[in-house]
Amino acid sequence: MKENKELNIVLAGNANVGKSVIFNHLTGLHQHIGNWPGKTIEKAEGTLHYRGYTINVLDLPGIYSLSTYSTEEIIARDYIASQKPDFIINVVDATHLERNLIFTWQLLELKKPMVLALNMVNLLKEKGIEIDIKKLEKALKIPVVPTAAIYGKGITEILNQGIRSIKRKRATTDPIKYGKEMEEKIGWLTERMAEISSVYPKRWLAIKLLEKDKIIEKLFEKKNSEILEQAKIFRSELKKVHGHDPSIMIADERCHLVSQVVKEAVRVTEPQATGLNERLDNITCHKILGFPTMIFILGLVFLSVFQFGNRLSYLLEKLSFGWEKWYEGMFGVSLWTYLGWSVAESAFALIQIALPYIFPFYFLLFFLEDWGYLARVAFLMDNFMHKVGVHGKACIPLMLGFGCNVPACLACRIMETRRERFITGVLTTFIPCSAVSVIIIGLVGKFIGLSWALGLYGIAFLTIFVLGKLVSKILPGEATELIMEMPDYKIPHFRTVILQTWFRLKEFIVIAGPVVIISGIVIRMIRFTDWLTAVADWLSPITVNWLGLPAITGVLLIFGILRKELILVMLAALLGTADFSQILSPRQMVTLALVSMFYFPCLATFAAFRKEFGLKEAIGVASFKIIFAIIYGGLFYRLGLLF
Amino acid sequence: MKTVSLVKLNEKEKAEVVSILGGQMATKRLVDLGLTAGTRVKILKKAPLFGPVEIELRGSALVLGQGLAAKILVRRGE
Repeated sequence: MKENKELNIVLAGNANVGKSVIFNHLTGLHQHIGNWPGKTIEKAEGTLHYRGYTINVLDLPGIYSLSTYSTEEIIARDYIASQKPDFIINVVDATHLERNLIFTWQLLELKKPMVLALNMVNLLKEKGIEIDIKKLEKALKIPVVPTAAIYGKGITEILNQGIRSIKRKRATTDPIKYGKEMEEKIGWLTERMAEISSVYPKRWLAIKLLEKDKIIEKLFEKKNSEILEQAKIFRSELKKVHGHDPSIMIADERCHLVSQVVKEAVRVTEPQATGLNERLDNITCHKILGFPTMIFILGLVFLSVFQFGNRLSYLLEKLSFGWEKWYEGMFGVSLWTYLGWSVAESAFALIQIALPYIFPFYFLLFFLEDWGYLARVAFLMDNFMHKVGVHGKACIPLMLGFGCNVPACLACRIMETRRERFITGVLTTFIPCSAVSVIIIGLVGKFIGLSWALGLYGIAFLTIFVLGKLVSKILPGEATELIMEMPDYKIPHFRTVILQTWFRLKEFIVIAGPVVIISGIVIRMIRFTDWLTAVADWLSPITVNWLGLPAITGVLLIFGILRKELILVMLAALLGTADFSQILSPRQMVTLALVSMFYFPCLATFAAFRKEFGLKEAIGVASFKIIFAIIYGGLFYRLGLLF
Repeated sequence: MKTVSLVKLNEKEKAEVVSILGGQMATKRLVDLGLTAGTRVKILKKAPLFGPVEIELRGSALVLGQGLAAKILVRRGE
């Protein structure tokens, strides 16, 4: 096959422009989501075959600039410059063209073949926006392809145009000319770089030096310090004349040029929209109605998930009944079949949490996100979240935490700085996940009353609030302010929502799966060797003397480290009945639930936390939680004596 | 004309950005999003209880935290 050539292409663009929808259309299920080496940033790759080409597609993180504001930006520009993709697909939101083109301009400066995917053109008409494609192509000097990614429209045309632009081998001309003063300085610096070999275009390097880009400056530090010196002189000259930092001036000029292009190519008339979305927006962000609406929507989500979850979980339980007998009849009884069964049991336990609870919960949350509602929650909650030391976007990982703390820990990546990722990460481990909710509802809710169960949630929120305040005071650095684009409400795209849910569920299975299965084997071993009473005795100073619980709970709490819902499962197994009121007084039930809620974040969460923040941090948080839960539980028990 | 902080404006009010008092990082990030001196903005919404401010900027909606919005100086009017 002579024609079978390989192409490497990248998708680049702002967040929420439909980049991943295009990526999914291109690669289907032939995709691999991993991490960038040494970074906790998602790397999505995939392949497709098209017109005799094998095309490797890489979806870069959604960003707004190619400076050094975030790791994502550095990754993106390094990748484009060093890996030399055959062409770039720059995806832009046609309904917010002006803001999107600011980033396009920066990409053009990297001088790689590029195709502009003008996405969401299907929404232009109702918004009363007309875009002249020819004029846009002329201004940008690259092919522009209108697409409606959610309907799969225009996707192959992007590839056709991209392949054509490689064949043409036309070097992209410098599309952007800055002011005369700036151009002189860029020109001078570019000339002096004749002997420098770098993956980056020289003109781009010169611009970055004037922007005082720390990473680019390092490239010059050793051998070409005179260029660096000159750039410094230029910078202070510019600053003296204009009173602004040159980096701001350059960005300013870019914005100005972009708005000229938009003025030429875009015409806005009266929107045809029904105004329904606007009315929805007004209610959901309303000064008075906003909060009740939020409580209603989120409450509905939680309630329906628990209703659905309990039913499905009950069904699964019934389905699983009797299999152990069958298994023993099939394979006999020996140590190995015994261990084999424990693996099967653990895998089933994983399904028992993932399918009835995590799956529907994440499906609804991503539905709300795709619809546009989660951004409104961040908007409403920003002020409140600031009191905890993070901004409004932290709501999203915290809410995911109610499903499972593992994906919640990973979702902290949406926070911009390490400090905020860490604070949010610590707080998510205090959110009662679905396994903890099983304990709260199955123990406290069932035997004492729903109001007590709700009270425990209240205690959790209060604790998170106080801890957040404390952690943000202790940690050095300042709180970052919220900067977020507000998406328009739109009809959620089913495929995107399902895919998002599936990826999160996969993360959960990949991280929690091995931990749960190994711990299942360990549990069997412990039960087999009959260490239970020894462990219970050893822990009795804490469990019996301080927490006022029966000695047996020591064993439960050890198992709970592996998986929290085991606390109830084991209690039932050890008692031989699910009527917990026989052994625990109401006060003991609340104490046990409280300790279960706050002590060691289950092993899977520990693994996720270590992956995101490091081993030392994970051990630190886990030890803090254990001590905290023991103190808290003991104090509650003593306070409870008063009632 | 006097300049005021962006948070002082009411909903639906329009203004022109005069300058940003924030640090280098915040300023650069805002400029990358198109918020430069001379840009026309309109207040779309203000969150309850002194929360963030949503503005219309170059045809898109942007939400800025209260503290950051307070550092953006604008000139009132069409």
